[in-house]
Amino acid sequence: MLIEVFGPGCAKCQTLEKNVHQAVEQAGGDHAVVKVSDYAAMAARGILSTPALAIDGQLKFQGKVASPAEILTLLKG
Amino acid sequence: MSELPCTSCAVPGKPTQRPRPGFWRKGGWLLLALPLWALVYHLLEPTANALTTGLFGLDLKSHWGSAIAFFLFDAPKVLMLLSLVVLGVTFIQTFITPEHTRDVLATRTGAWGNLMASLFGIFTPFCSCSAIPLFIGFVRVGVPLGVTFSYLVAAPMVNEVALFMLLGMFGWKIAGIYAGTGVAIAFLAGWILGKLKMEKHLEPWVMAITFNAQAASAHRMARSERLEAAIQGVKDIVGKVWPYLLVGIGVGAFIHGFVPAEFMARFMGRATWWSVPLAVLIGVPLYSNAAGVIPIVQALLGKGAALGTTLAFMMAVIGLSLPETIILRKVLKPRLIIVFISVVAIGIVMVGYLFNFIM
Repeated sequence: MLIEVFGPGCAKCQTLEKNVHQAVEQAGGDHAVVKVSDYAAMAARGILSTPALAIDGQLKFQGKVASPAEILTLLKG
Repeated sequence: MSELPCTSCAVPGKPTQRPRPGFWRKGGWLLLALPLWALVYHLLEPTANALTTGLFGLDLKSHWGSAIAFFLFDAPKVLMLLSLVVLGVTFIQTFITPEHTRDVLATRTGAWGNLMASLFGIFTPFCSCSAIPLFIGFVRVGVPLGVTFSYLVAAPMVNEVALFMLLGMFGWKIAGIYAGTGVAIAFLAGWILGKLKMEKHLEPWVMAITFNAQAASAHRMARSERLEAAIQGVKDIVGKVWPYLLVGIGVGAFIHGFVPAEFMARFMGRATWWSVPLAVLIGVPLYSNAAGVIPIVQALLGKGAALGTTLAFMMAVIGLSLPETIILRKVLKPRLIIVFISVVAIGIVMVGYLFNFIM
């Protein structure tokens, strides 16, 4: 799966990225994690608040830092 | 196609099916904790005083004595108040999303838009790093520039956490003044900026990029999810803010214990005409979390600083921050940034004078 983490680089987005990596490790399997910091890219996806997360192109949430457990659930679901 | 039952299918618009502790199980817990909270809160001051005299052997009227008693009382008090306030406010905030705000504001024209944007700004959380996506999202969907600015001023300046803490510590009047003047400044600043027609001072890429207004996830939160979010909010915010708080309380304790009353009255009192602009000038480049500046406000007021000057200082500190300005530079050309900061700063100074005059 392709996991995109959207954020300009503040502490919250870095935490989300870290949590994503943790969840991906736990989930196993083949996943690509991409960090998107470009504002134009975020606007093109309609993101209003960061950090935000998309899985396989679908926006899952924005404006919160999800825990590894929550991300794991999203990966499995 | 999987034969196994899917335990965590995310059906758009419906809460996920995974098992989750019920609202009343978690909520019931909290309801029981409330009277306990109130009891502990009530006992904080006497305990702080007793510890200062008993454990440290200090006279409460001495410099060190009053500073330490202030610190011992204020630190747990502010932390407890903050936790309670963040819990409630975060819960309410799960009902208001940026998408809601944006959609509502897109349809309002004229001064009404500025007013609504300012009011919305009170109740929405504001993370500086979201400033740009938010700004773009609003402007591109047709929210007028001035209205967007009203929101951008109100959201950090009238901090909902600070508002309720002021309510808890100083009562309705001061909290109301803070909210009212914050909204007024945001309204005026946005309205003036709108009239100045500075749309061409936006960085060109803002209007040039593709924008998608539909992407928001359609998930509706269940009550227990909102409660979970509220509890997580307390952990996040208190976890992030407590160093600022302790520094703020330390400064407050110092002012309380060591700064003579006449000093504050001289510098921040009503008699000196330059105290308000000075307070704002000092406050603008300073950055503190809203919760951290409140103990300082408390100490200043206790030492006789004028209400207008103190409010102006507080709003300058939390309303305009250097990190936010640097971030906004990406979407606003320098002249627009300068106009933005100036309009807000002048608004704050005027509020300061107004309240020194009428109080």
